[in-house]
Amino acid sequence: MYAKSLLFTTALLPAVAMAGHAEEGWPEPVKEYYTGQVLFDRLELTRTDEEENVAVWDMMAWYGGDYHRFVFKSEGENIQDDGEPTDLESAELLYGYLMSPFWSFQAGVGTRGSLSSDASMENYAVVSFMGLAPYWFEMDNSLMVNEEGDVQFVSETEYEWQLTQTSYLQPRIEFTANLTDSDKYERQSGLSNLRVGLRYRHEISREFAPYIGVYWNGALGNTADEMKRMGEDTTETGVVLGARVWF
Amino acid sequence: MSNEFNKGRRKFIKSAFTMASALAIAKVAPTWAAPQGRSFKDQILTNDEIDLTIAKSPLLVGNKVGTPITINGQMPGPLIRLKEGQRAKLNVTNRLSEDTSIHWHGIILPENMDGVPGVSFEGIKPGRTFKYRYDVEQNGTYWYHSHSGLQEQLGHLGPLVIEPKDGDIGADREHTIILSDWTFEDPDTVFRNLKVAEGYYNYQKRTIFETFEDVRQHGLEKTWKQREMWGQMRMSPRDIADVTGSTYTYLMNGRDSAMNWSALFKPGEKVRLRIINGSAMSYFDVRIPGLEMTVVAADGQPVKPVSIDEFRIGVAETYDVIVQPKHNKAYTIFAESFDRSGYVRGTLTPEIGLEAEVPELRAVPERGMAAMGMGAMAMSGNKEEKGMMNMSGTDGHMNHEMMHKKELPVENIKIEHSEGGHGAAAAMIAMNPTSRLHEPGIGLDNVDHRVLVYSDLIGAQEWPDKREPERQIELHLTGNMERYMWSFDGKNYTEVDGPVQFRHGERLRLVMVNDTMMDHPIHLHGMWMELENGQYPRPRKHTISLKPSEKVSLLISADAPGSWAFHCHLLYHMKAGMFRVVNVA
Repeated sequence: MYAKSLLFTTALLPAVAMAGHAEEGWPEPVKEYYTGQVLFDRLELTRTDEEENVAVWDMMAWYGGDYHRFVFKSEGENIQDDGEPTDLESAELLYGYLMSPFWSFQAGVGTRGSLSSDASMENYAVVSFMGLAPYWFEMDNSLMVNEEGDVQFVSETEYEWQLTQTSYLQPRIEFTANLTDSDKYERQSGLSNLRVGLRYRHEISREFAPYIGVYWNGALGNTADEMKRMGEDTTETGVVLGARVWF
Repeated sequence: MSNEFNKGRRKFIKSAFTMASALAIAKVAPTWAAPQGRSFKDQILTNDEIDLTIAKSPLLVGNKVGTPITINGQMPGPLIRLKEGQRAKLNVTNRLSEDTSIHWHGIILPENMDGVPGVSFEGIKPGRTFKYRYDVEQNGTYWYHSHSGLQEQLGHLGPLVIEPKDGDIGADREHTIILSDWTFEDPDTVFRNLKVAEGYYNYQKRTIFETFEDVRQHGLEKTWKQREMWGQMRMSPRDIADVTGSTYTYLMNGRDSAMNWSALFKPGEKVRLRIINGSAMSYFDVRIPGLEMTVVAADGQPVKPVSIDEFRIGVAETYDVIVQPKHNKAYTIFAESFDRSGYVRGTLTPEIGLEAEVPELRAVPERGMAAMGMGAMAMSGNKEEKGMMNMSGTDGHMNHEMMHKKELPVENIKIEHSEGGHGAAAAMIAMNPTSRLHEPGIGLDNVDHRVLVYSDLIGAQEWPDKREPERQIELHLTGNMERYMWSFDGKNYTEVDGPVQFRHGERLRLVMVNDTMMDHPIHLHGMWMELENGQYPRPRKHTISLKPSEKVSLLISADAPGSWAFHCHLLYHMKAGMFRVVNVA
């Protein structure tokens, strides 16, 4: 029916077709595009200097368009064979907006804690600035406020040296700072933790790239003092074996 | 112009009709894409009424079977030869499971025959036939392709040649060559890869060892200075083509280098080569080692003969060149992707089975300061290089140098950027855009032979509209590689309110500024663009390629009422929204 009326309209009144650019029922010449990605930046097995084996993940998933995206981020670890439950370091659901060519602002909620049936989770609100700094430093800076009002800042920076067209040397630095003391979660204010790592990654494909690496993790400031008082080791080193995977 | 839908017929009658007519018109062609010793069965369609059937069929592409979109069973589609002055009658039947379309690239015709779904018509639904009818009032080398989704990447394209009224082609023989890029990946996957993983197809990035080598050769300070700007801008000087030879098989008339498409000549003959870049994403540098080429037409329109040894052909452009091979030997037609990630070759040969040496791919080029819009600095740098060239005695470059002395209108046009740039959609702004029409382009600056530049092109005749422009429209080409966003003035098609308005009958100047680090072939449907390159008569173009940080001006006679597509002809840039509708009313 429609085609027939179109035939008549355009045959008898060509001026009608010339006036506007699209008639009702015509498809858009270019459509909005939405897509998504699941990226495990780190999916690895760690061997610590304490001779523990730890499984670690650090992932992000997103869906959306050029400017607006839903983002899910999660990090966590499980010490193998220690009988303890998995430690969920973060699971965050965010809305992201591209503010400038290289930076997006993200805001949302997160939860963390021990993944056992009886543990209570720490819920928090979070804002992040995520993007690419000049000289290609990949950054994710997050500010978190939990239900107790405790404020924490976490910054992650990665850089890539291109060794060949499919292999990279990647330094990584992550630090945590508490803006407030927290009795409930035993956090001391000040810079609390620094983790540096170096990975050598080789791409089997763009989507699947195994790596090996080393890291050093150290407690800082008040946190380190407190750990020393408790007789705990404030630093840890280890080797990692893992893969960067996306789909 | 009637919009004749073939509707309401019972299915079996229609398919029987189409099959019969498709068989009737299929014939083996000696002059178009018919190499000897192989049975490629390429068709030339010259009938008064031509039937084209669009389908998806398995076909050998290079050494593997792919599933391209075929037109009358072949990919690229058959050569359509029309005659200037005739009425084109082209019936396009869709045997795909999705909508399709054919756009007649470079042909001046009524808007409802232009074949852009959503702009000129509804598109062609599966199982339906659309009857294209228009008067052919021009001649030359053109092409046709789908304007639906990413179908062009699947090979939905073909050559279209319009013979001049007097039949004089200025040569003893002619061959038509359509270059294309084929991938065995799903085009939707290619687009998503570009969207989610910046640099996915670039396997020519700078490595740290190259940096070490630079430091060793030039010292730390100089190396740092070179790297600094790129680092600050978070861009790569090796970012030349978005999709590369890492996934593409480059094709000449549908054959890869191993299949070696060949064309015959007799020594001493003048051979006209009609060369079309039907690629989705690939610019090519074309040369025939041992043969001088004389460019006689650009985008189908005649130009005053220019003798050159190599030319760059942007996506969707066409060039006609005349060669006169004197020796009884084979010559390689070498089309090298401009990022040097691959090539396709064919052969011009006096007899069956001969082939000539195939050149090596040249080194991967890098973008320089000019790409960043550091215009003044870049130009003095170029002049130095050219000065050196002149000393070695290449008069081609001398010409370019002299031409550049002429002042172009665009050089006096002050470029306005919108307040605060173009938002998050533009990763850079060309601070000092310049005219780069006299430059051959990235990777061709330092070759030791003559390379065609836009400022060489002189129209062979005066065009009817000699008025000065009454009005000026300025558009900026913008992009953000990180998220693969491409747009005009920082807004993709889905974000703009309405069409770009041309007043019917006006003469206007279109000024374009490339605020990106990539080359973009910009195509206006329905009307010619006269390139203000300092020559008179100006050359007429349907597609104009802009280098990074370049500004160009073009004169347009808004004589075609209706709605027309205006877009970047890099397929995935268009898909990302680098597209506008121009409304002439």
